[in-house]
Amino acid sequence: MKDIFKKIEQTLDKNLNKAESFIQSHPKVNFLFGALFEATDGLIRSTKDTAKSPPFIRSSMDVKQYMGGILAALFFGWVLPAIYFYGFMCVVPRLIVSFVVGVFIVDVIWVILAREERINEGGFVTCLFIPAFLPPQAPLWLIGVGAGISILFRNILGGVGHNLVNPALFGRLMLTICFPTMVVSGWQEPSIGIPTIKSLMHGVDAVTHATPLIAFKETGETASLISLMFGANTGSLGETCRITLIITGIWLCVKRIANWRIPVAYLGSVFVLSSIFSLMVGKTAAPPIFQLLSGGLIFAAFFMATDPITTTYSQAGKWIFGIGCGIITVVIRNFTSIPEGIMYAILLMNLLSVPIQSIILKIKYRT
Amino acid sequence: MKKAYKKGFNLIEAYPVKFAETVILVKYDGPVDNFSFSFPDRKVEHIIVNLCPTEPWALPNRAILRNRTHDFLNKLETVREEYFPDSHCHVVVSQQETGLVNELTQYKAGANRIYPSTKEEYLHLHTIEPVYPYDAPVLIVKNILGLDIAFDQNTIEHGILILDPQNVTGIFEHYIKKNEFNSRLIPISGTGLNDNKILKVKPGTPIKSMLELYVRTDIKYRVFLDGLLNGTEVKDLTQKIDWFTKNIVVMEERDYKTPFPYLSVNELLFTTSLMGELRRCVYCNFCDDICPVNLEPALYWHCYDRGEKHKARTYTLEKCIECGLCSFICPSKLELLQVIRECKSLK
Repeated sequence: MKDIFKKIEQTLDKNLNKAESFIQSHPKVNFLFGALFEATDGLIRSTKDTAKSPPFIRSSMDVKQYMGGILAALFFGWVLPAIYFYGFMCVVPRLIVSFVVGVFIVDVIWVILAREERINEGGFVTCLFIPAFLPPQAPLWLIGVGAGISILFRNILGGVGHNLVNPALFGRLMLTICFPTMVVSGWQEPSIGIPTIKSLMHGVDAVTHATPLIAFKETGETASLISLMFGANTGSLGETCRITLIITGIWLCVKRIANWRIPVAYLGSVFVLSSIFSLMVGKTAAPPIFQLLSGGLIFAAFFMATDPITTTYSQAGKWIFGIGCGIITVVIRNFTSIPEGIMYAILLMNLLSVPIQSIILKIKYRT
Repeated sequence: MKKAYKKGFNLIEAYPVKFAETVILVKYDGPVDNFSFSFPDRKVEHIIVNLCPTEPWALPNRAILRNRTHDFLNKLETVREEYFPDSHCHVVVSQQETGLVNELTQYKAGANRIYPSTKEEYLHLHTIEPVYPYDAPVLIVKNILGLDIAFDQNTIEHGILILDPQNVTGIFEHYIKKNEFNSRLIPISGTGLNDNKILKVKPGTPIKSMLELYVRTDIKYRVFLDGLLNGTEVKDLTQKIDWFTKNIVVMEERDYKTPFPYLSVNELLFTTSLMGELRRCVYCNFCDDICPVNLEPALYWHCYDRGEKHKARTYTLEKCIECGLCSFICPSKLELLQVIRECKSLK
């Protein structure tokens, strides 16, 4: 078995080397497919770069593993539960559309046109976010448009490491502006109980017009916390099964890919503020635990707000960032006509993270 | 006691290196350097002898002590009595080596010391975790004496002498016993060698003639002096060993692509491979989590990247002890140590 694997490895290595030298010796081919080859090759093989200056030994963690960790967490956090609740045929086509448009069309064309060196793995994470915060029955083209806008926006700003705001949330904001009714309709009922082949394939053929948060805004009813926790309620494709999101989110924090300060500050401030508000204004404000478990708060706190590049670099700034997100979320949810405020909260705080960072540096180093 | 340092990294766990038991003498007939020790012209108040290597490729202390810890301590006391009277001796050992710690405490309390402390105890025992870079001069002084010294400052200005354990033996044999002392223990290790050995070398020997018996001939390799994290590369193998050489590491040069690297991480781990591609800083906070002196190395990189090298100094750059852990851990493979050194060189 090992011998066979070794042989496959060797032939693969040989052929990839051949392809590489072919591409590099033909400038026109290199112009069109060089970056694409680099990207696929980078997934299969290690680099040939070696350390030229001290330290001459490097740890095995790289950005690919970093992004791979987020991808794995997202896969177990929302893709698998979503397949159970909404059916294979609901989830997988949306993922395919998102990836094809985002990574394989927009990113590849951008790399060719802008003559970038490589396709960045951050795009995969962005494209895995897009279907997660749209309704389960949102049209496929909407997801395609969202993914395209997100990746284009990120690339225009200069790619991973330069983005000012979370590109996936920016895409969602554009969709909300351009197609306001489409992003808040098509809430498919989740299928609950022992799954059948039909339910795993297609889910339940029923659509409501309200998520628990919208229902609370309209009637003041709160859904049961257990059903919110385990995902038996309507909501966006990726946000309903909170228990898996919490588990994978904590795993990310333990692996130090996500910074634990942000979810703690975000969820903590939402809890504290909504307790205060519900004590002050009574029933018009949502109760704290319901606030935490409804909408995309868990998903956003663990996966979107922790996007490292769009937060501050300083650890103290991360607390401020998380608390700021919490305040804006609670204020929007309780005192405006918009049922869900997470997107606005994170985008606003993303914009504020640069000044927060510079103020913290000024205080810390007295420059 | 308050911790003087923050995180650091346990290199010994991550890169286990086993040395062969026996010490091998390297024969060399060419001209050799004689041992000499430049005694400081200032009064020495504290002598620190570090018996806790925090790098796996450093000389293990069993090669120095050779199960005769009492002998070594006798020598240390004699050296102190002869050359640095009225100074305090600090012996630093790993807290994991309980056997050695016991031996040292026994010696301290024992009656058969040649120079028993009359007024107050001058021989002190300290234990530290064997975590890199806790044995760096700045951290070890801060940890033992609670003194803040700058990285580029000589510790002797504070009356502190950090003695290499091999130099203790050297001073004792050469200056006190007037014996011939002309060889130094150099550990050689790494993936470029067939076997990890401890060699007894006469300083003056070219590196080439030390290594030629042990290097692997089937691969490309590179040779490094004094550790992989902040040491130097040996480009010219005819370079000679001197009395300050600590260790030699020979690593495999992985300048070709390996299929499925995630399945064969161990194969790549102890090589010169970058283990990833160069990217932009992703603000992952790995560097300031690992930094032993509580700095934020990514800030220097951001300054450097914006072309504002002079601004890096405002973020307490002078505290950096150049241990190299930030570049080691960086997932974007940024050359942070290089950037820091460049920013420091700007006056």
